[in-house]
Amino acid sequence: MSLTNDEFDVSGDGFPAVANGTSILLTGEDADALASVFYRLVAARDGEHSVVLSTDSSGRTVTRSLDDVERGAGDRARVLAVEGSDRRDAVTAVEDLTDLTGLGMQLSTAVAEASADASRLRTGLLLCSSVIEAADDTTAVYRLLNSNFLNHVRREDAIGVAAVDTSADFGSGTSSTVKGMETSFTGRVHVEDASLSEATVTVSGLGDADGTHSVRL
Amino acid sequence: MTQRTVLCVDTEDAVPTTASAVAEDGSLDAVETTSVADARAVLRDRDVDAVVTEHDLPDGSGMDVVETLREVSPQTPCVLFTDARPGDIDTSAFEDLIVEYLGKHLPDAHERLSVVVNDVITHSSQVGFLLPDNEAERLDALAEYDIDDLPIEDSFDRLTDLIASHFDTAVAFIGLIESDEENVMACTGADWDSLTREESICTHSMLQEDVMVVEDIADDKRFRSNDELHNLGIVSYAGANMTTSDGEVIGQVCVIDHEQRSYDADQRADLQQFADEAMELLELRQRVLDANPEVNA
Repeated sequence: MSLTNDEFDVSGDGFPAVANGTSILLTGEDADALASVFYRLVAARDGEHSVVLSTDSSGRTVTRSLDDVERGAGDRARVLAVEGSDRRDAVTAVEDLTDLTGLGMQLSTAVAEASADASRLRTGLLLCSSVIEAADDTTAVYRLLNSNFLNHVRREDAIGVAAVDTSADFGSGTSSTVKGMETSFTGRVHVEDASLSEATVTVSGLGDADGTHSVRL
Repeated sequence: MTQRTVLCVDTEDAVPTTASAVAEDGSLDAVETTSVADARAVLRDRDVDAVVTEHDLPDGSGMDVVETLREVSPQTPCVLFTDARPGDIDTSAFEDLIVEYLGKHLPDAHERLSVVVNDVITHSSQVGFLLPDNEAERLDALAEYDIDDLPIEDSFDRLTDLIASHFDTAVAFIGLIESDEENVMACTGADWDSLTREESICTHSMLQEDVMVVEDIADDKRFRSNDELHNLGIVSYAGANMTTSDGEVIGQVCVIDHEQRSYDADQRADLQQFADEAMELLELRQRVLDANPEVNA
């Protein structure tokens, strides 16, 4: 498959390339399968850089998972990890997931630094649902997505992936919240029927990629 | 080219450089101030399109400027353009005030500033609610209706009376959703003219195709901290989209109650039919106006 500079390779059986400036809402109830698809979408290929906010895994786990998808991708990533920093300069600890003002500033800094290192950027939130769960008010998370995450995706012509574990507890409005979020993203990838080695993903809003695909995990 | 006004708040030494960086884009006019107090005075005195502020100021912090901005003009974007690193900024008192952060230490920060400012203004990107991906097209569709000139209010009033009676709810209303607020066209059971989009439940309801029901806002994280809804006595909500023939959602038909309430499938279908009826009324009135512009002249 040949790629142009107008699209990102997401390497995989069933997954066509994704256009620059695309934001993806990644949903599913199986946390492992969700993470697997997330890393496939976000791991930086040659000439690219990644910025990942990790709410539930350490920086070390994130960089290893990126390396599993693409050799060297961990070295081309800046990671904000709630589970703490490690010895790498590129991993920054997030002290308080409920401090969305501080989190936004950290994300902006990581994106600016990463875009100085590489002209092409992938960025992701794993898990956005954990940010919503931690926040007192979902509106503040919407503000973070609008004024920060989706903004950077558009401005940097990047791809951005926000992963939402749909089994998370947002109160009674979980389904409605996800439906609402979906309209602010370019497209949605829903992961279902996951086994140890394979999952079915349903893609919508991403043009040629739309449809149901079987992907190896 | 439309000129945009940007308030630049920085120390006396740095403010000329910051203002120059902003004015690199010919469409941006920089207004310089050097303290929180002066910035507050400007924000209360005149409209600005964006604010660029340093964090460390002689009489306070850039976050104080942001806080004032959110009070006087909640949707106006702000860029924190500062020497301070994120970890050095005390955000504990401002945990959900989202701003654009651009560290002066970052590569090409001064060169990037005008691009960032123009971008946040153009894309209204610091609103506190999720925007549909097709927001611009949606607003264009709404602008096709001459709302102020259409003799629609009496018809909508009768319709909301009927809806409130049908569902036996405390309130029924029809609202058109503009860029910053929901314009209440008719309302039975309350005296509401408008609701800010950030506060309105319809902001969320319009994002889903089917009827959205909130049985108790206290159980829904999107709304339970919304003081305005509590002050209005809203406990339960159901809303259906008013959708144009081109598929753009321009408004909502809603029922509100002061107690917990659920709506079964038939009731949801009824509410959607009322919304379709409201949309048809609006379409027909607009067609009559288009055909006979002198009727309402």
